[in-house]
Amino acid sequence: MSALRNHYQVEAALENRLRSLRDVDEATYSVVLACMPALEDLAKDATDLALLIDVIALVAVEAPDCSASLATRLHSIPEALSDLECLRKWAVHGLQRYKDQAVQRLFFFSYEDPSIFSDQRTEIDSAQFIRRRDMLQSYLSGFGVNDCRLELHDPQAAKLLPPSVSLSREIIRFPRRLTDVMANQRDALFRAAIAHAAAHFRHSKLLRPAGARHPTLLALISLVEDARIEHLMVKDYPGLHALWGKFHTATRESAGFDLPGLAARLARALHDPNYHDKNAWVQSGLELFTEAVQRDPYDQKAFDSIGRKLAISAEKMHQHMPENYRPAPVYRDDNLLLWDMNPVYQDDDRVVVSLKDVQFRDLEEDISPTRLMDVDMRRKSFYPEWDHRLDVLRDDWVTVIEPPLSAIRYKTSPKARTTKVDHQTQRRVVDRAIRLNKLAEGDELDLNAIVDNAIDMRSGTQPDGRIFRRHGRRRKSSAIVVLMDQSQSTERYATGTFTTVLDIEKSAARLVTNALHSNENRVALHSFSSNGRHQVHYQTLKDFDEDFGAEPQARLDLLRGGMSTRMGAALRHASATLSARSADYKVILMLTDGQPSDVDVLEDDYLIADASHAVLCASAQGIKTFCLTLDRRADAYVQKIFGMRNYLIADDANAFAGYTGKAIIKLISN
Amino acid sequence: MSNLIKPYLIETEPYYSAQGDEIKIFSAAIERGLPMMVKGPTGCGKTRFIEHMAWRLKRPLITMACNEDMSASDLVGRFLLDAQGTVWHDGPLTLAVRYGAICYLDEFVEARQDTTVVIHPLTDHRRILALDKRGEIVRAHPDFRLIVSYNPGYQSAAKDMKPSTRQRFGAINFDFLPRAQEIQVVAHESKISSEHAERLVRVAEQSRALRGRGLDEGISTRMLVHAAGLMVESISAHDACAIAMVAPLTDDPDLHAALLGFVEAQFGPKE
Repeated sequence: MSALRNHYQVEAALENRLRSLRDVDEATYSVVLACMPALEDLAKDATDLALLIDVIALVAVEAPDCSASLATRLHSIPEALSDLECLRKWAVHGLQRYKDQAVQRLFFFSYEDPSIFSDQRTEIDSAQFIRRRDMLQSYLSGFGVNDCRLELHDPQAAKLLPPSVSLSREIIRFPRRLTDVMANQRDALFRAAIAHAAAHFRHSKLLRPAGARHPTLLALISLVEDARIEHLMVKDYPGLHALWGKFHTATRESAGFDLPGLAARLARALHDPNYHDKNAWVQSGLELFTEAVQRDPYDQKAFDSIGRKLAISAEKMHQHMPENYRPAPVYRDDNLLLWDMNPVYQDDDRVVVSLKDVQFRDLEEDISPTRLMDVDMRRKSFYPEWDHRLDVLRDDWVTVIEPPLSAIRYKTSPKARTTKVDHQTQRRVVDRAIRLNKLAEGDELDLNAIVDNAIDMRSGTQPDGRIFRRHGRRRKSSAIVVLMDQSQSTERYATGTFTTVLDIEKSAARLVTNALHSNENRVALHSFSSNGRHQVHYQTLKDFDEDFGAEPQARLDLLRGGMSTRMGAALRHASATLSARSADYKVILMLTDGQPSDVDVLEDDYLIADASHAVLCASAQGIKTFCLTLDRRADAYVQKIFGMRNYLIADDANAFAGYTGKAIIKLISN
Repeated sequence: MSNLIKPYLIETEPYYSAQGDEIKIFSAAIERGLPMMVKGPTGCGKTRFIEHMAWRLKRPLITMACNEDMSASDLVGRFLLDAQGTVWHDGPLTLAVRYGAICYLDEFVEARQDTTVVIHPLTDHRRILALDKRGEIVRAHPDFRLIVSYNPGYQSAAKDMKPSTRQRFGAINFDFLPRAQEIQVVAHESKISSEHAERLVRVAEQSRALRGRGLDEGISTRMLVHAAGLMVESISAHDACAIAMVAPLTDDPDLHAALLGFVEAQFGPKE
C-alpha cells in the first residue's frame, strides 16, 4: 500500500518538474517530451528521471540553447544516465567554466563527454589536491612566489593519459589523476612539483621564442634545463635533492630503450650521482652536463648546446619523442612556460605619431565634465553556493550587488513610537585594564591600602578595613546585523491585519536598533532581494557605526518589496561583513516571511540546503544566526536552516516586534 | 657608584653582532641623554643589544618587563611597613633615576597608558621624577638613561603608545640579520656547524615570507638558536625544528605542514 503511495508521489514530483521546465523553456520541454519514451527505458525509475529533469532545468534557466541541445543528445549517451551525480557535476562544471562564453558553452553541452567526472580514482585524487591546496599555497609563498594560484587541469575522459603539471605565470595546474604514485607519496609529489616550479621561476629564462625547433629538440633542451635549475636550487635548499630523488626511479629494465625511456634514465643520471647507466647516449649526456656545470651553471647557451647534441645523436638512432611525451619523473612540468611557440614581432606595426597629426584644443575651451553615467558604481562580491546533491560548494556561483550609498536627501518621517527593551542582563567579561582598589573583599591584597590601614592603626585611629582589590569587568561588545527579507511576498498584508509584512519587519528593525544600538552593541540594518544567481541585491540601510538618525530612518522607510529570496547568499554576505569587525558577540537576525526561493532554482530543497550551509559556515566563524519568521508553516524548513532552537515563528503579526526584542536579548545574554 | 646599583652591572661581554651602525648611533644618543626606543620583531636581538650596550658603556642595567597589571607605584616605589613605622621603598625606576643607571622597560606598550605617563617629566628637559606620595622631587643622576622596547608587529592593533609618550623618544628599528650574519650568530650561540646553521636560517627565511599570509611573525633568531641547541644535543634535525620552531609558531594545520615542508627542503624527507 505504502509502496503504491510512494510511487504516486514520485510520479507527481516528476509531473511537477516537467511543468516547471515548460515554464522555463518551452523548446527544451518539447525536446525532452519527445524523447521521454527512450529515456524511460534507459532510466532506472521515476526518481532518477526526476533527477535528470533537475539537471536539464538547471542548465535551462541559465542557457536555454544549451539545455535544448543537451536534451537532444541524451538518448545517444546512455552512460550519462546511469550516473546522474556525475552528469550533474559535469553540467555545473560547464556552466561555471564558460560563464561568459556562450559559444564555448554551447559547444561544451553539445559535444563534450559527460562521463569525465565518472572515474572514482580521478575524483579522489582531485579531492585530495583541493584539501592540500591552502598548505601548498603557503609552501609556494615560502619560495617567494606569491601571485601564483594553484588549480586543477580541466577534466578529461578517464581513458586518456593525464597531462603533466603545467606552469604559467599566474597559475600552476595539477593533473586530476595521479598515475603510478603511491598514496603516501602524494604529499611529497605535490611539494616536489611546487619546488620544481619555484626553481623555474627563480632560475629559468621564461618564454623564449621556440622558433622552428623540432619537438624532440625542445624536449631535450628542456630536460637539460630541468636538471640545471634543480642543480642550482639544491645549492640553496639541499633537502630538495632527496625529495626529488624519491621520484627518480627509471632503470634500464623499467624505462626501456625508446627515447622517453632514455630521457627518464638521463634525467635520473643527471640527478643522482650514484646511479650508473651503461647506455652510451645517457653517458655522453651526463659527461657534457657535468663539464658544463663545473664551468658555469648560469651559462644557458652551453646547456642548450648539450640538448642539441643529444637531439642529433637521438636522430642518428632514429629516435623521436612521441606525441604523448610527458617529462619524467612525474613531478616535472610540461615545460611550456619555457617556450613561446608563437612569438609576435611588433616592430613593424609601430605607429609613429607626428605633432602635425594631433589636434590641439583651445585652452579656454569649456570641457564638459566627464560622464559617469556608464560607469557601474555598484560593488559586486562573489560567493559560493552549496549543492546538496553533490555535497560540494559551487565556487563563485552567486553575485551580490550593493549600490553605492546614495547622497540623496530623504524627507524625514515623524519618529515612530518605540518600546525600550531592557538589556541589562548582558554578560560582562574580565578586563584587566579596569582595576578596582580598596575593596572589602577581592582576589588579592591592595598593598597601598594595607599600608594606609597599618598607619591608621598605629596612629590610634579606626582603620578603614577595605584592603582588597580585583580586576574590573566590562560589558561584552556585540555586532548585530538585522537582515531584512524584502522580497515581493513581503508586500502582502499580514494575516488578520492591515499592515504589510515589510512594515512589520521595519518596526521590528526599528525596535532592535533603538533598544540596542550603543557603545558596546552596534546594530546594522541590511536588506536583500534576488533575481537569479547573478543579481542578489543587497542594501545597507544603516551601517554599524552610523547613528540611527534621519537618513538611515528615511532609507528604511523607503524600502519596498520586490523579487525573490536567495537567503544563503545574503547570509554569506552578512557573515563576511561581520567577520571584518571585532566584537565579542556577532549575531545575524534574519527577518523573513517565507522560505528561500529564486527564479532560477526549480529544485525544492536546493536553496534551503544552501542557506543551512551558510548558517553552518557563519557559526564556524563564531557568528550566531537567529530567524524570526511570520510564516506559520515555517516549521518544515526553518529548523533545517537555522537549527533546533534558533528560530521563532511569530503567528501573531502584532507581537512580531515584541518577539524580536526578546529574541535578541536571548542571543546576546548567553 | 652606589652599592645599591652595583649588582646591576654586567660583568662579561654579552655576544652581539651589529646589524649596521646602531652601536655608534646608540652610544651618541646615550652620550646626549636622549631617551631611546628600540622596536622590531620578537627574537631579533633587541634585549641582547641593550645588554651589550650597558656592558660596553659600563653602566648598570635595571630591567623591568611591563604588563597590564603594572601600576605606577610598581615603577616608582611605595611605602612599606617595618617595626618602627612606614619606610619608603624605591621602585626600579626611582633606583635608576637616583643613582644613575640605565632603566630598560621591556614590552613597553603592554603597560597601561596612564601608568606610563610617570616617565614624561623624566624624558624632557626637566629630567625629574615626582614622588607625590613622599612629596619628593628626585632630580635625575647625570648617568640615568631610559630605554624602552616594543614589537610593532602584532601588538599595534590593540595597543599603542600615546603620541605624547611616543614623541619623547629617539627610535632604532631592528629587523632580522642578513643571512650570512644570522648564520654566524646561530653558529656562535649554539655551537652548531655553520653548514647546519645555514640550513636553519634558510628555513627561517622561508617562514618569514609567510608573514601576513597566515603567520603573525616568522621564525626568529632566538628560535633558531633553540633548534640548533637541540641539534647539538644530538636530536635529529626534523625533530629539533618541529619542537623548537614549527610547533610553537602556529596551530594551523596547513601552515604547520607548509613549515615542515621548508624543513624538508633543507634536511631532506623525514625517514
